Amino acid sequence: MADVAESDFLLATRGRAEELGAWVVGAVFDARNALAFALADGTLHLAGTTGDWKPVTAHDGAILSASADMQEGWLTGGDDGKLMRTAPDGATTTLADYKGKWVDHVAAHESGLRAAAVGKALHLLGPGGPLKTLAHPSSVGGIAFDTKGKRIAASHYNGASLWFVGAKEDKPRSLEWKGSHHAIAFSPDGTHVVTAMQEPSLHGWRLTDGQHMRMSGYPGKTRSLSFTARGRWLATSGAESIVLWPFFGGGPMGKAPTELAGGDAVFCTAVACHPQHEVVAAGFGDGLVLIAEIGSGKVVPVAPPSGSPVSALSWSPNGALLAFGTEAGRAGIIDLARRP
Amino acid sequence: MSQTQDAQIPVTVLTGYLGAGKTTLLNRILSENHGRKFAVVINEFGELGVDNDLVVDADEEVFEMNNGCICCTVRGDLIRIISGLMKRKGRFDGIIVETTGLADPAPVAQTFFVDEDVKRATKLDAIVTVVDAKHLPARLKDSSEAQEQIAFADIIVLNKMDLVSADEAAEVERLIKQINPYAEIRRATKSDVPLDSVIGRDAFNLARILEKEPDFLSGEDHHEHDSEVNSVSFEVAKPIDAEKFNAWISQLLQTKGQDLLRTKGILYYAGDSRRFAFQAVHMIADGDYIGEVKEGDPRKSKIVFIGRDLNRPQLRRGFEACQVEG
Ligand SMILES: [Zn+2]
Repeated sequence: MADVAESDFLLATRGRAEELGAWVVGAVFDARNALAFALADGTLHLAGTTGDWKPVTAHDGAILSASADMQEGWLTGGDDGKLMRTAPDGATTTLADYKGKWVDHVAAHESGLRAAAVGKALHLLGPGGPLKTLAHPSSVGGIAFDTKGKRIAASHYNGASLWFVGAKEDKPRSLEWKGSHHAIAFSPDGTHVVTAMQEPSLHGWRLTDGQHMRMSGYPGKTRSLSFTARGRWLATSGAESIVLWPFFGGGPMGKAPTELAGGDAVFCTAVACHPQHEVVAAGFGDGLVLIAEIGSGKVVPVAPPSGSPVSALSWSPNGALLAFGTEAGRAGIIDLARRP
Repeated sequence: MSQTQDAQIPVTVLTGYLGAGKTTLLNRILSENHGRKFAVVINEFGELGVDNDLVVDADEEVFEMNNGCICCTVRGDLIRIISGLMKRKGRFDGIIVETTGLADPAPVAQTFFVDEDVKRATKLDAIVTVVDAKHLPARLKDSSEAQEQIAFADIIVLNKMDLVSADEAAEVERLIKQINPYAEIRRATKSDVPLDSVIGRDAFNLARILEKEPDFLSGEDHHEHDSEVNSVSFEVAKPIDAEKFNAWISQLLQTKGQDLLRTKGILYYAGDSRRFAFQAVHMIADGDYIGEVKEGDPRKSKIVFIGRDLNRPQLRRGFEACQVEG
């Protein structure tokens, strides 16, 4: 991408970027396509393609994790021990206070579920407040709801636990694999769970028969996992290209991954698959953002390198907007629907 | 991704048995006015409250890496905590990690070699071990953790000196040096050492440790060892053959790594004008060039092992055989 002119990046013609001054922990679209950047200085910036961006102070400390809330607005967990909700108008509500313990991971489902991982505990909350607390043998490294919101998976040391949210008796299905697991993803059809591990590799479980899947060969740690809309591909960071594992035709076992947009000797740090098409957005260690079409391998440059790793990347649910943020606090939004 | 290398945050690891004075030292570091702000990672069984803006409770989750080896471990909680703290760079100048009294320091040290995020964001400044001058001799006899805490230390605060006689003090220093002649010993009564002797030392910097001649005791070779952990060091005059050294050291760490607590070396490779610093904690090794050698400076390569069951003649022959021929 070194030879691409600034004006060829989509950001120049279809987007805008701001310097927000703190590590961008999340670029999060809510279910209604409204965007907020969650920052490590405790603020949320409600952002759009036009108009002023609105800063909101949600935490007294750093935001450690952010997700869309159930139907609208955003959910954030902080090192102040709080689980906060920020409404589309910027009003904040404290949903839970875990007394100074870090809220490492948050997630929500539109059916009316919220989840917050605090150390070894995974707290589930409904619209009315706390529902239950699920205990794990070690600190939770990542959480994910399945598409329907029936199950939640939590990764930890030596595997992951799969919980039925509505179960009367809380006993998880243990997905075991030695080692430390962090980032976690459910396939869209709910048949596979994949985690990223401390040793640079991925581990997957096919839930129908418990089949293990090893995906290795990464030069760096994978932090970001994203399935394509229909679950045919799993896009991952952690290499000098976007690494995509085929989840069809018997894969990923025994199949080589497809690599896209490689060659600049800079690690991919974030991936996000388009909500409808087989298109993946990727951010790199130098701040470069691009979009790649999986079928053709065609790459479209989105944002030029700014010198700081891309730490947040996501698509709006309608697939029209792409947002990214960097460790140094640069945040951008690109409108792909609008004609330039 | 080198743009953040220069901003590595120094980390001080504080180890020591319950009651040795570790928390007193920690509170002094935090309360004295030195213009520096610290994030503190304390263990959940801490003795006293710690008064600081940025205190993080740690669970000391020791994770084995999936090579199946019992010595290849990291602190999973520390990886998570440091990754979280790094998002708020600029809020503090250093990180202090306190370990529980019985903790083996290896997983903490290995975390700084193994995890790419931790390596990118931080550097290990020093492992400081606080010991009780009165009770250390007994502890060294009955606990491998006490020996390990001495073996891993860059700086040892020999505390409660008011409770021992001059002879007892000399004896406890002798015991410490037998395990680890490279550690700097600071005598104290109520953990009252100058703070700049424990903080911001860059003591994990290899060039500095090895340039300092160790305080070996005379006749050390013939002395009967009181504890199972001790150290040996060797020096060779001819340049080192990098290939031979790598083959030897990887084989050695692979087979003997569980007993080798710390290995440190400064190497002059044949045909290279730079010095190479090598270090390992158990089997996990790391190395880097540490600058040019000045014209006319001696080019003696040196290696130090601290560990159990060290076979001195065998290690000596192994290192000597790494020299270039002729
Ligand atoms: Zn080992």
